[in-house]
This record gives sequence, structure tokens and C-alpha cells, in this order.
Amino acid sequence: MNKTNGPRLRARRKARFTNDDLWGYVFIAAAMIIFCVFTLYPVINAIYTSFFNYKPFGSEFVGLKNYTDTLKYSKFNLFYKAAWNTLVYTVIVVPLSLLLSFTISVMILPFQKKVQSVFKAMYYLPGIASGVALSVVWLWLYDSSPDGLFNKFLGFFGVPTQNWLSSTKTSMLSLIIMALLSSHGTQIITYIAALLGIDNSYFEAAELDGATFFQKVRYIVWPLVKPTTLFLLVTGVIGSFQVFMNAYMMTGGGPDNSTTMIGLLIYNNAFEYAKYGLACAQAIILTIVIALMSVFQFKLMGVDVEY
Amino acid sequence: MKKILAIVLSAILVLGMFSACGSSAPAETQAPAQTPAPAETKADAPAETAAPAEPDTIVIMAPPVTGSYLENLKKWAADFNAMYPNLTVEIIETSWDEHNGKLSTMAQAGEAPDIAEISSGALGTYVEMGVAIDIAKYMEEGRLNDYDANALAYMSLEGTAYGLPLYLTIQSIGANKTLMEELGIDVQKIQNEGWTYEEFLDVIKTGTTDSRYGFVFANSGVTASDMLYMFGAGVGLSNTFTPELKYAFTSENMLILLKAIEEMTGSGYMPNFGVEAGQRMVMCQTGNAMIFGKAMPLFEANFKKNNAALEANDGTAVEGSQKMDYAFLPVPTMAGCAESCYGTVDGLIAMRNKDTTDEHLKNVLLFMDYICSGDRIAACMNDLYLDPVCQSGRDALVLEEGRDENNLATAGRCIAMVQAPPAGVTAEMTATAKQLMDEQIVPKFQLLLAGETTAQDVYDHICEAAYAAFGQDNCAQGMLG
Repeated sequence: MNKTNGPRLRARRKARFTNDDLWGYVFIAAAMIIFCVFTLYPVINAIYTSFFNYKPFGSEFVGLKNYTDTLKYSKFNLFYKAAWNTLVYTVIVVPLSLLLSFTISVMILPFQKKVQSVFKAMYYLPGIASGVALSVVWLWLYDSSPDGLFNKFLGFFGVPTQNWLSSTKTSMLSLIIMALLSSHGTQIITYIAALLGIDNSYFEAAELDGATFFQKVRYIVWPLVKPTTLFLLVTGVIGSFQVFMNAYMMTGGGPDNSTTMIGLLIYNNAFEYAKYGLACAQAIILTIVIALMSVFQFKLMGVDVEY
Repeated sequence: MKKILAIVLSAILVLGMFSACGSSAPAETQAPAQTPAPAETKADAPAETAAPAEPDTIVIMAPPVTGSYLENLKKWAADFNAMYPNLTVEIIETSWDEHNGKLSTMAQAGEAPDIAEISSGALGTYVEMGVAIDIAKYMEEGRLNDYDANALAYMSLEGTAYGLPLYLTIQSIGANKTLMEELGIDVQKIQNEGWTYEEFLDVIKTGTTDSRYGFVFANSGVTASDMLYMFGAGVGLSNTFTPELKYAFTSENMLILLKAIEEMTGSGYMPNFGVEAGQRMVMCQTGNAMIFGKAMPLFEANFKKNNAALEANDGTAVEGSQKMDYAFLPVPTMAGCAESCYGTVDGLIAMRNKDTTDEHLKNVLLFMDYICSGDRIAACMNDLYLDPVCQSGRDALVLEEGRDENNLATAGRCIAMVQAPPAGVTAEMTATAKQLMDEQIVPKFQLLLAGETTAQDVYDHICEAAYAAFGQDNCAQGMLG
């Protein structure tokens, strides 16, 4: 492009607000309105409320007290325990879930499309089921009596009865197993789409060179699905840090707060103890932590990734 | 054309999102039918008043207090409307699971219903929130005297009544009376005179076999606190605060209680796994447990219904259950403490919202008093196998026939032993105690039930947490009572 013409051309383009531009804004207005009303406004309101000792009629401005109360270390401040529990849950569930989803996707791929669809539907079903309904079923599976399904199954192998949800040794493990077995439908579908996008010529070339199956996965598939892996990792971490339903329905945060997650803590402060301002402060802190982790993940893994 | 169609579809999408938002009207409102009062219901007003002229709508939110409560509530609302044609009642029906969360959310948004059912333990939270109302200012003069002082005390804080009691429920233990008598245990003596913890331990030992536990308690998850409260009454811990307004759970009585529970759970007479709330009665009915908790007088109806189903062989009986009579038993006493019973009151409170005015509150209290008294509450108490907590309710009560006299007498004796919370407890104290129980005491207690800690460790933790919350000077020391 002629350098002397560039700025004048850009200026002319800037000045022309065409009809198409207008329609473009109109079409994105729907999504923007929904975003502003249901996401942006609540976040701004939460930030505002976090500086108050909130009461429905007559809140009291307390400045940063809610934040200092949250972050002040004390043996009886549940925030740090909840943060640790959430971190442990995330560090175990997210990578294992990704690995499981990737493995299942690779196993599904060789099948015909119709068979693939059947498997995809089966794995996706838990994602559309009600979380409450799922939790009720899992409560039945985790029945601590000797007649509970898991206990009966383990009994065949001589394993003694486990107090699944009532013992600190098994309560977090129970939630992790539940998460791993019921929440990777979306990841599988996403991975399959990514795998289908890999050009066959790479595999043909690898076969000519005598590559084994695992070598193809390691040197061709895994690097080429890296953008998808990064996306699923970031969204997985975000979702795991916000986990609430599992802990609320299955254990109530116990025993001994061993399964109290930050999401549950925020819920309890807001709706059990009516400390709405404190709950908002904790939610904002959680948001900042999640944002920082997402940035960190992109910096670490996303250097050579383009979407 | 395509662009216009796209615009219309986008607008429908946005409007569809907004239509799901609540308006000022409650989401699940059921307006009662404007029908004449049913013939069998006596439309007796608490007192004769001149019908207010201005039309007004009263919103009440309630869970199924009894199986027929919500249906009856609609009838009572219709009767009330017949008496006061300008006052309309809207009912928000909730389930037990969603009621507390929904109410808390609505209250915090400034859109609380005018009347809501709550447990007395939650009163402090709503008073702290600033949405609870001093009902004495808006009730007709003298009407508060209809209610029993001890029950009203549960719905009051610092001498101010914020609600009216629906019922005072007692929590104790229930048993397979048939089995106990077969084993030679004098059930009637226990019911009439009470028993000690040592006697209780002997009885459950007698009742334990390879296929049956002597005692089972629903202690899974958050229900673990029921065990503390219930057995606590037998060791002098009837209330969270002492008459001197000190936090009671730091007293030595608590250590005795914890040691007793440690002994019970480690004895082999109780299951060593968490028992869900729904399992406890079933385990008794199927012969897998002799005594169970927590239990209430109204469970007699469940046992009778199951016996009838077994006789009729209609397939509705609990699978594997046996025919048996139910005995309601008092909580055993420990360490020489006086016999007592854990009681809690569920009631209705009047709440402030954005539309509240003084005149509106008078109408609200008029309706609230109406449904908490007279034959309305009497009908409710018949379902719950409890005594009414107001004089007009007792006057209207006609006891259902066929109730076990011994159970009736035991329930009456237990109700009489319930100790109302001391006067002077503040909303802040109640709210702090609730959070302490939920976040510190129950979690450690769950560890004790799982056999992963000792009673002494739990007690030490409770003391440490209570001192941090209330200050050591405001916590009870030594033995109470």
C-alpha cells in the first residue's frame, strides 16, 4: 500500500458509518444487552455492595472491612480452608478430566459417524441432567451402609465399608470421583471436533515413516489440539473454582469443612448468615483469583496458540 | 426482510430473558378462590374489628408444615377474605428444601413476603437484617395474651416479639415398643419416669444383635447437630445461652455429652456409618434398629399407617417392614441433671418490604393472628400430634381418636419440660451462635461421629472457637445446673 495514501484512506474509512455498520451494531445489541443486564450490572453491584454491611433497609458503609475480614488469617476463618479445598479439587479434577476426555475422544474417533454420535450423546447426557437430580443419585451410590452400592461392590474385593461422605478420608475423593464421572461431555465433543480438524496427510506421512499409534498421538495429535486443550483447561479451571452444587448437595461442606468450597462459603455467608456484603467481597476476591489464573495459563501455554 | 426478521427474533430473545425476571409480585403466587367459606370451618375472628376500608393484599410464604397445611391455608385465606372483603391473601407455596434459601433471598432484596414461616433459630438472622417487625405494635390489644409465654419467648428477642408461634415441637427418641416389651423392657416406666444414660445404654445393648442395632440416629451431614441439641437437653444444655446470658456449650456439661456420644458411637450398639434422615425410621420399621432418633410424637401416625398397610397387604407398606407399635420415649439424663426435653418453635413472622406501611402491617398481623389461633391451629396440631400453644387453640382442639395414651402422656410431660430461651438474648448473639454451630461445632462433631477425633479434642475446639466469638467472660465455665 502507498504509505502517503494510508492515513488519508483510513480517515476516509473512519468517517463513513455505513448502513451495514448500523445493522451490525443492532445485531450485537441483543447479546450486549443480555451481557450488560445479567453479567456486567451484577458484577458492578457486587463490587459496590462489598464495601457495605448490607441490609435491605439501611446498609452501612464499612470500606474495606469485608475484604480484611475475609483475608485476615485466623484458625476459625473458613476462607483459607475453603480456598485450599477448592485448589485441591481443581488441581486433581481438571487435568484428570482433560486426560480422560482426550483419551475417550481418541477412542471414539475411529468409529463411523453414527456410532460416534451415539457415544457423544451418551457422554453428554449428564451435562443436561439437573445437578440436583444427579446429586440425589450419587447420594444413593455413596450410601455409607454395607448395602450401599459402592460399598457392596468394594465388598466383593474384600474392601471394608467406607463412610464415603461422612469421613474426611473419603469425602473429597467422593466429590472428585463424582466430578470425573459425570462432567466431561462438553470436553469430549470439543476434542472430537478438534481431532476431526487434523489433516489426514500428517497421519499418512507418519505411517510412511513407521510411527506407532502412541507416537502419532504424541507428535501429531497432541500438539495440533493444543489450542483446544488450552481453551478447555482455562474454562475447566474457571468452572472448578466456582464449584458449589456438588458440595452443597452431597456433603454440605463437611465433615470438618473438608469439602467446603469457596462457592459454598459465599452461598452460606449470603443466604444462611445474611452477610451479603461479606459474600460479595469474597466473590470479588474469587473473581480476581480466577482472572489471574486465566492470564497465567495463557502466558504459560498460549504463547504459540492463535484462535 | 431477513434483517427485519433477525431483529424481531433478537428482540424476542431479549424480551424472553427479561420475562423470566421477577416483578414485585411473588413468582409462585396462588391467589385463593373468592368462594364462600366451607361449611365445616368456623370463621371465628380473633376479635371483632371494623373491616378496614382500603383494599390490601397480604402475601404469605409457607412450606408444607403438615401434609394438609397448604390446602387448609387456602381455605383459611378464603374465610378471612369473607370476613374482610377488602383484604386479599396471596400464598406462596414452597418446599422445605427451598423455603429458607428463597426467603433469605427475597428478604435481602427488600421483597420479603408479609408473613413467612421460620424456625425460631433463624429469628436472629432476620432481626439483624432489619426486616423483622415488632408485632406488638400492630396487633390488636390483648391478643398476644392468647399465646403461651414460653412459646412466644422463642419468637422474641430482647423482650420484643417478632412473630407468633405455630407450634412447639419436641424432639426425642422413638422405639419399637413391641420389641422392647418382648425383651422384657418396661417401656411404660421409662415413659412415665424417665431414665438415665446408663439405663439407656443397657437397653440398647439388650436390643443389639448381629442383624439389629440397639440405637440408630440420623447423623449424616448437617443433621448431626440434632444429636447435640437432643441429648444436650438431658445433660442440662437445654438452650444455647444460660439464664446469665453466657454461651452454654463451653460448660463441662458439653464435655460429658461429647464423651457419652463417643461411647455410644464406639460401642457397636449404633451403626458406624452415617445414617440419612430418611433411613432412621425405616431401619426401625424393618427391624434393623430398636430405638431411633430424632423422633417426634407424630411418628405414631406413620407406624399406624404402615401397620394398616401390612394388614391390608396393599403394597404400600415399607418394604421388609414388620408390624409394631411405636413408643415415644424421653431423652435419658446424664450426670444427675434434671430431666428435660429439647424443644423448638416454628412460627410465623411479619416482615418488612418495600411496600410496608403501618396500616398494611395491621392487616398483616390480623391475618397472622387468625391463622395462628383458634380452630385453624387446632387442625394443624391434630396432624402434628402436638398441643396448641395458644388458649384459643386448646379450646378448639378435638383430639383424634385412637392415639396411644402413653405416648400422649409422654409428649405432654416432655412439652412441660421444655425450657424457653432466656430473656435478653440479642439478635447478634443468636446469629453468632448459629454461625458458630454451623462452621465450628457441627463439623468437629461430624469427625467425632466418624471416629476420627476424640470428645476432648472436640470440646477444646468448641471452647476455643466460642472464646474467639464471644470472649471468654461471656462463655459458661464449669458445670451448669
